[in-house]
Amino acid sequence: MAKVKKVRSAGCDLNMTPMIDVVFQLIIFFVVTMKMTENEYEDIELEDGKHGPIIKEMPPQTLIIELGRRLPFSGRYRISINNALVSEAALSDLLVGRVNRYRNTNFPVLIRADYRVPHREVKRVMDVCTGAGIWKLSFVAIFEHKASKRKGG
Amino acid sequence: MKVRKSRRITNDQPQLEMTPMIDVVFQLLIFFIVTIKQEDILSMLSAARPAPDPDAKPEDTPPNVLNIEINKTGFILRGVPVSKALLERRLSNISEYDKKVSVVIRCTGDSPHKFLVQTLDICHKLKLSNLAIFSM
Repeated sequence: MAKVKKVRSAGCDLNMTPMIDVVFQLIIFFVVTMKMTENEYEDIELEDGKHGPIIKEMPPQTLIIELGRRLPFSGRYRISINNALVSEAALSDLLVGRVNRYRNTNFPVLIRADYRVPHREVKRVMDVCTGAGIWKLSFVAIFEHKASKRKGG
Repeated sequence: MKVRKSRRITNDQPQLEMTPMIDVVFQLLIFFIVTIKQEDILSMLSAARPAPDPDAKPEDTPPNVLNIEINKTGFILRGVPVSKALLERRLSNISEYDKKVSVVIRCTGDSPHKFLVQTLDICHKLKLSNLAIFSM
């Protein structure tokens, strides 16, 4: 009697464990690095500045003042902090409050202004800063384009 | 006759159904990959504002002060309108023999902010650190 060869019909198993490990690592990375809220005004186009020091880790005291384009109804230029509109008086109060709290004027103040904004608007912001005793100011520029398109290209 | 029913105890491990979990996990992964946004690398260009002195006259400025004027159309160096490239060349010549020269950038109200940033960028490139912004 001939022997019947048993053919095993079990499919080839793919080991899922390492793949799931990697996928979970990726998801944890994305969840941790994801920003849930926009804490900066996005409609500001910055001028290129390839020779200033790169902004990496800023101290927590850093204040970034955003100066955007003209508001449609009021005609005034948009001053904001963390994407929240502020008036010059409110900005002044905030700066004076910070100076009193830190007991010095050495905390970094960065002005993130649109490249088209006329200097008189930048002067308004600078005047508020100097009124609070902050004489050293920094302007934010683009060191390297990653998200935004280079102007004129 | 009493038939005793024997209870079968299976030794099989409880199986976790992986397929829906993998589906959901891949959906999440695709969502994050699609929505991730790269950010520009930013730099900061620092400068100081001089304390307002109403008695100061242009003649009182010491000789190691270099005035750059910025207006609506561009840059003016020593009274002569210059292009960005020429401004950089002139500043490069000056910075070669005097790195401590004080650069006073005088901006008119209608000058666009980009000219100020460009000037500060050139000064940072040439390692000129005594920078002051004066608004006119």
